[in-house]
Amino acid sequence: MSNFSFISDTEWRCGCCNKELQPSKVNVEYMGSVFNVELMACPACGFVLVPEKLALGKMLEVEQLLEDK
Amino acid sequence: MNNDPRRDIISATESVCPTCLQRLSAVREKDGEDVYLVKKCPDHGEFDTIIWRGPLRFTSWNRPKMPSRPLQTFTKTKKGCPFDCGLCPEHGQHTCTALIEITARCNLRCKVCFADAGDHAAADPSLEKIAFYYDRLLAASGPCNIQLSGGEPTVRDDLADIIRLGRDKGFSFIQLNSNGIRLAEDKGYAKSLKAAGLSSVFLQFDGINDDVHLSLRGRALAAIKERAIVNCGFAGLGVVLVPTIVPGVNTGEIGSIINYAARFSPTVRGVHFQPVCYFGRYPQQPHDSTRITLPEILMHLEEQTGGEITANLFSPPSCEHALCSFHANFLVQDNYTLKGITSWQQICCSAAGQNREIPSAIEGREKSVSFTARQWSTPSQCDCATSRVQENEDELDYFLRRAKTHTFSISGMAFQDAWNLDLERLHGCCIHVVSPEGKIIPFCAYNLTSSRGRGLYRTSGG
Repeated sequence: MSNFSFISDTEWRCGCCNKELQPSKVNVEYMGSVFNVELMACPACGFVLVPEKLALGKMLEVEQLLEDK
Repeated sequence: MNNDPRRDIISATESVCPTCLQRLSAVREKDGEDVYLVKKCPDHGEFDTIIWRGPLRFTSWNRPKMPSRPLQTFTKTKKGCPFDCGLCPEHGQHTCTALIEITARCNLRCKVCFADAGDHAAADPSLEKIAFYYDRLLAASGPCNIQLSGGEPTVRDDLADIIRLGRDKGFSFIQLNSNGIRLAEDKGYAKSLKAAGLSSVFLQFDGINDDVHLSLRGRALAAIKERAIVNCGFAGLGVVLVPTIVPGVNTGEIGSIINYAARFSPTVRGVHFQPVCYFGRYPQQPHDSTRITLPEILMHLEEQTGGEITANLFSPPSCEHALCSFHANFLVQDNYTLKGITSWQQICCSAAGQNREIPSAIEGREKSVSFTARQWSTPSQCDCATSRVQENEDELDYFLRRAKTHTFSISGMAFQDAWNLDLERLHGCCIHVVSPEGKIIPFCAYNLTSSRGRGLYRTSGG
């Protein structure tokens, strides 16, 4: 799979480890559904950066689709 | 009430005597995993009816709501529930789905029929009368989802006009409750209903084999049902398959129905199970072995889909009383298997879920109206040919693309008859029928009959 959207150079560093973020395959879990995506993450502790564009874009759309009655 | 030492009283409610329909106090009694509704009429004795069977814990299946009163009531509270329906000021929920019976005529003679259709059918209500029904609904609850019902609504040649009238009045989701015969006969018919503004067909669908149809409906209908689905697909109408589940007849078809339905996604938007209930004349109480309860359907789903669909995916409803229904949402994957995309346990047991105040009934009603309209209509865009994750696409992209068209709901609703009627459930009912006088009456009260066949609200012949 290709993950072109959310892998990009970033000035953010990990606050705990002070390491540069690197592309990483992560599982995003929401209400029981798991999605494999690539995000920038700390190579030491695995803490991921969810860019605003992702949080307010695709993730919000997924959340709305999973919204139950 | 019962002196059986194995029985424990769980909670109290009210019901009616199946013989004389007088209101009685009742209790829910537990015996192992099973729960019974028990009541005693001073004139006609004790009645004991199964309401819950199986390992899913009865007491875990709850979803409380703060009652929310109708905007406008058409009756006063005098004798108390269930004798003042109209709705009365004591009713605890608004109309989510309103049934309008546009004819008492039918082109089938089914053993299981709520509407007592066919014999001595009353005259069809005029368009003016139906306009009045729509207006009464707007006054009582505001815009809600409409189900045109009967009899068999397609026997009316002005069905498209009735749909157009509803849309003009401001009802955005209109569904047709049908046996599918006319939809199957004429491809252009489904298109004409879609053009008039119909969104969805609630298709009676008791099984994939003709022996089930012959047993319940008296006619081999399997090929007819499939043609109806295909014609609706061409017309852009969503279809919900609605099996009436009768022990000994089609409990073994539950898994097959789901597999069949998923293959017709995205035309088929979901399956809605209805356990059989007993309206009409029954001199002897229907035996418990002739009843199937909601958790048993969940168990059959789990067993008959080889664990693909598990009971823990299902939630009690946000709109009607918890004991009335279950539902869960799925994604139909490329190989037509279903992947659960909601989990009640995760919602109710999360920190946010536990700390929430009890929501108002109208909040659940609003969610349910919009969810049902969206899920049971055909998707506006269909990218049906494309398959699994593609170039330049991650799993979120794939999910979003697929979920725009291939979501699928499985739900079930247990109607109540004179034996298992629980007035706490009736009080929170959101499925209402418009009576010929323009009263808004909860479905189970409207169809309630004593064991002698006397209706509480419905008059003979519709």
